[in-house]
Amino acid sequence: MTHESARFVFKGSFRTKSFVEFAQHRAERLGLDLQFGQAGVEAIAVNVSGAVELVDAFEMACSLGPLDCFVLDVVRHGGDLAA
Amino acid sequence: MRLEDFWHPVALSQSIEPRSSAGTRLLDQELVVWRDNSGVAHVWEDRCPHRGMKLSFGFVRGDHIACLYHGWQYNSGGRCQYIPAHPALDVPKTIKVPVYPAHERHGMIWTTLSENPATMPEHDEMVVPLRSLYLGCAFDAAVAALNSVRLAPFASQAQAETTVSGVNDTLVAVSCGQDRILAGVQAISKTRTALHLSLSGPAERYLGAGQNHFNEWALRLRHAAEHARAAYATPDQDVA
Repeated sequence: MTHESARFVFKGSFRTKSFVEFAQHRAERLGLDLQFGQAGVEAIAVNVSGAVELVDAFEMACSLGPLDCFVLDVVRHGGDLAA
Repeated sequence: MRLEDFWHPVALSQSIEPRSSAGTRLLDQELVVWRDNSGVAHVWEDRCPHRGMKLSFGFVRGDHIACLYHGWQYNSGGRCQYIPAHPALDVPKTIKVPVYPAHERHGMIWTTLSENPATMPEHDEMVVPLRSLYLGCAFDAAVAALNSVRLAPFASQAQAETTVSGVNDTLVAVSCGQDRILAGVQAISKTRTALHLSLSGPAERYLGAGQNHFNEWALRLRHAAEHARAAYATPDQDVA
């Protein structure tokens, strides 16, 4: 199983608290480590690490986002792959 | 006590065969009742954590149930063990389905939504399954109907009084002469109730003709419960 650390910047229109709770829940469900970077109404940055398949799943879940947020773009900085 | 604190029957044991699953609802909570290959019954939330598909549409394989949608497999503890799209993935233990306790008594599968459930009574008895009956009325109306519909005896032809007694909060015994029907009451929602009916006694006494005899009583019971439903539920409470 390959692990990955990735940094995501979700861009769009956000209710920050709502998106943060949503991302925390999904990361918890997927067993990922999660740290938030800057979080504003137009962009939210997060650092995630865990199994690469589940990091992908996290990106997919958060690209949909909660009902009151609108994700227009996702920038992914892949990173430090370690076996 | 609130209905949420009770043990409720959610199916007749006979209705859930090994390697099969069925969906039901308890107090508006959607549940899957399934039985594994070894015959053990399980009651879970009826929702795959992946995409929300009902697990009651899934497949039972051994002691696992697999979601119909993407094949995610859950072990008997509710933990996802295998994701077909990622066969090498060590699935995190956080991917799991909420599991409820399940016991079988009186020919019925019982569960509770309570976080601190009362102890399930150990008492059990030999029964012959009669049928499950789905009523368009509230829990209280179903219990009231059980108290109002007279039973005609089967095992002995002598006329006898019908007596009704509560075995516990959700199990009612209706007796007449040598015959005793056990009615487990499942609160599906505020306006819908299921009765799971068993005949107390040996199979040779009730299989066939006895079941047919009491099935007529069950249909009269449903009519009585639904005829009186206006007294127990308001139309805007109906959800199904």
